[in-house]
Amino acid sequence: MEKEKINLFFDAMVIGGGIAGGESALNLANNGYKVIIVEKDLSIGGKMIMLSKVFPTLDCSACITTPKVSEISRHNNITIFTESDVNSVVKMGERHFRAEITRRPRYVVAEDCTGCQKCEEACPVIVKDQYQYNLIGRKAAFIPFSIASPKIAAIDIENCTLCGACEKACPSNCIDFTQKALDYVIDIKSVVVATGFKLFDPLKIERYGFGKFKNVLTSMQMERQLAPTRPFNTILRPSDGKVPDKIAYVLCAGSRDDSEGNPICSQICCMYSIKQAQLLMGALPMADITIYYIDIRAFGKGYDEFYEQAKGMGVSFIKGKIGKITKGERGDLTLRYEDVSTGKIKEARHDMVVLSVGVLANDEAVPMFRSNTLLTDPLNYIRQEDPIISPAKTSIEGVFVSGTASGPMDIPDSILSAGAAASQATAYLKRIN
Amino acid sequence: MAKIDRKFSKELKKYGAFDFTSCYNCGNCTAVCSLATKDEAFPRELVRLSALGVKEEIESSLKPWSCYYCGECSSLCPQSADPGELMMSLRRWLTARYDWTGLSGLLYKSVPVLVGAMLLMVAAVILFANYKQFNVKEIMHFGHLFEMYAIATVFLLILLPNILRMWYLTVIRPGKNPPFTKYFKSAGVLFLHMFTQKRTLGCDDNQRRWFEHFILVIGYLTLLMMTVLLGWMGTENIFVIVAGYLVSAIVFIVTADFVKERIKAKKELNRHSRLKKLSRHSRPSDWLFVIWLFLMGLTAFAVRLFVDLDIINNNLWIYLIHLTVLVQWALIIVPFGKWTHFMYRSFSMYFQSLITENNKGS
Ligand SMILES: Cc1cc2nc3c(=O)[nH]c(=O)nc-3n(C[C@H](O)[C@H](O)[C@H](O)COP(=O)(O)OP(=O)(O)OC[C@H]3O[C@@H](n4cnc5c(N)ncnc54)[C@H](O)[C@@H]3O)c2cc1C
Ligand code: SF4
Ligand code: SF4
Ligand code: SF4
Ligand code: SF4
Repeated sequence: MEKEKINLFFDAMVIGGGIAGGESALNLANNGYKVIIVEKDLSIGGKMIMLSKVFPTLDCSACITTPKVSEISRHNNITIFTESDVNSVVKMGERHFRAEITRRPRYVVAEDCTGCQKCEEACPVIVKDQYQYNLIGRKAAFIPFSIASPKIAAIDIENCTLCGACEKACPSNCIDFTQKALDYVIDIKSVVVATGFKLFDPLKIERYGFGKFKNVLTSMQMERQLAPTRPFNTILRPSDGKVPDKIAYVLCAGSRDDSEGNPICSQICCMYSIKQAQLLMGALPMADITIYYIDIRAFGKGYDEFYEQAKGMGVSFIKGKIGKITKGERGDLTLRYEDVSTGKIKEARHDMVVLSVGVLANDEAVPMFRSNTLLTDPLNYIRQEDPIISPAKTSIEGVFVSGTASGPMDIPDSILSAGAAASQATAYLKRIN
Repeated sequence: MAKIDRKFSKELKKYGAFDFTSCYNCGNCTAVCSLATKDEAFPRELVRLSALGVKEEIESSLKPWSCYYCGECSSLCPQSADPGELMMSLRRWLTARYDWTGLSGLLYKSVPVLVGAMLLMVAAVILFANYKQFNVKEIMHFGHLFEMYAIATVFLLILLPNILRMWYLTVIRPGKNPPFTKYFKSAGVLFLHMFTQKRTLGCDDNQRRWFEHFILVIGYLTLLMMTVLLGWMGTENIFVIVAGYLVSAIVFIVTADFVKERIKAKKELNRHSRLKKLSRHSRPSDWLFVIWLFLMGLTAFAVRLFVDLDIINNNLWIYLIHLTVLVQWALIIVPFGKWTHFMYRSFSMYFQSLITENNKGS
């Protein structure tokens, strides 16, 4: 039996609800266009909503993201579909795309959930919390994170044992295990691709011991430890819960590395490492922090000053790519490198190591486009047809790219790129109407 | 002040080096090299010196001889600058610098010259056989004499002066003059490394390679001694004859296995480096020593067999082939080929220990 598909109409569809997608949607909506944001995750906000503070101003990331996110979700012209997948986008004519979308069930009636977390308390199942980058656990009935938008519960059906405890605990009776995926057909005039980036998987660099040595973390895990909504309320190293006092940063972990298949610079990791180092100096005044680098790339406005400021605060910078990390005593780690300034091989002991993992392309949007090909560049970022004159233009007329979907960039650049995508989409919509 | 030669990188590329000018100067290669030590860090420093073309410092460096080309640095280099291959090319380049005749460089860089030289040797053997009117006894007698004198001459006129040049470039010119007695004290190092190439053991996972290498060195030396000093091919002594057969058998088996392993390792290495451009650049001349050694063993074996079967008189050709191989080996491959690396490596260890002993003293 053919399932009934719900048909909706919009001026623009934004794929991906990170900071770039949100900003593009907001600009379009403020110009009077009806926009739908299709986000695959349970909350919008992308990576930015998970960050601690942002370089180079050290503004609290949550404090700037949350108002933006709530503005987006309250906007009359914006419809948000979280936990949804775009199955296909087909160009039907000059001014018309048709997208097929599936909205996965949350097993919670969104309108009724008050976010009281009673289900969370009741649920007996504990799994790793992906929103805290596996630093701690969460329940199978859970609210993704405290500043999630929408802030409503969801059931992780893969790990749920169907014990029914959450159903009983919920005061507003909104848990509904009969929910099914809903299929939509959406007619739109233009598309903005804002699917963001993926993080380099450090398991690939075996000699850095991530996954094997507990005290080797990723920078994203460190962001979580430093964020206002952080899990431990202080900085702890995972192996024994000790407060670390000798922390190392390994830059270019999976970037600028041909042997890992990612030869380009990720543009953000020097800066976010310097930022984290400064925040750590604040959180742990007695700690020694060393950043091992190939080159420090602090290119933006105020960035070099930010770097100098870190040096002034006492962060050590050593030129030399870390060759390997081995286990030392009591969970400590030994980092082997060549100190390029002296030409000597050194081995340094640290009690915690942060891998400044790089940025990789997310090319999930490419197969969605069925009638025309969405071209990518050699490293799978969405190709900008005219990167200098009209940066948001893609290989398909009427499809625009916003934020890190087109290449590594930081938040200020993502916002600029999102603005460009929105204005180019606006111009396009004006032209075809 | 160091002199910089901007054309140096171009020159080095003729010796096989690849893309080392793309180096980031990050030191990853040094940090992952299992042979680099706190006192002796490489290969990054050499990549840097090569990119800049600081010839004098490269000439005085013994570090290229400490690398055994395990390839680890190359497969992990973030810029695919292939530092391992650079070290190999530097060894070739240094060999050419040490060689006063200048032939090493020529034979490395140009395959036609190499082939020409080899053919010249073939012609010489044929002419000589013709001159002796293809008399088996006389030719074999002369061949035996040749073995002894040629090896002695090559050693005195080419190898010894080249080692002295190496000594001058690496020890004397940089002003590291160690006192005379140190030369005796360190002599043990020289012999130890000459015979065992012990240092390769430091490379991860190639115990087997090292062991086979060791057997091969000993095996071929024994075979050489047997033919040159004991005259295996002409002797009546049953003990020598049997021993010769035995040694040949062992040597052939180990050679075959060694070559097989090397090819496998190379394939592995190429598969690891995700960028295909990183395929190994073996020069034909790098393999000549091994191949010719093998051919020498094989033809010596065949000659002895023909003698024992009593058919050598009607089959002089087999001896002529053996002689040709021998002449090519002794006059071209030994003095100018990759074999010399083996010698320079051992001397490098020796000089190194002289220098460090000296530094300790001062
Ligand atoms: C550790 C770390 C620290 C950082 N610190 C800073 C900092 O201090 N200052 C700064 O300026 N920048 C910082 N950045 C960079 C910043 O995170 C990015 O510039 C910014 O998040 C890019 O936003 P985006 O919207 O382009 O991508 P993303 O944040 O990746 O958002 C993409 C969105 O698209 C969704 N999506 C993906 N695929 C699909 C799909 N197939 N269908 C539907 N939706 C999809 C995702 O779920 C996500 O919500 C940091 C980055 C890291 C990793
Ligand atoms: S039904 Fe599932 S989600 Fe609800 S409490 Fe039980 S295990 Fe947790
Ligand atoms: S931003 Fe810095 S750490 Fe990141 S890839 Fe570029 S150079 Fe390496
Ligand atoms: S050769 Fe490669 S690993 Fe070595 S310093 Fe240069 S870029 Fe780094
Ligand atoms: S090839 Fe091996 S031994 Fe030579 S420098 Fe590279 S890692 Fe060291």
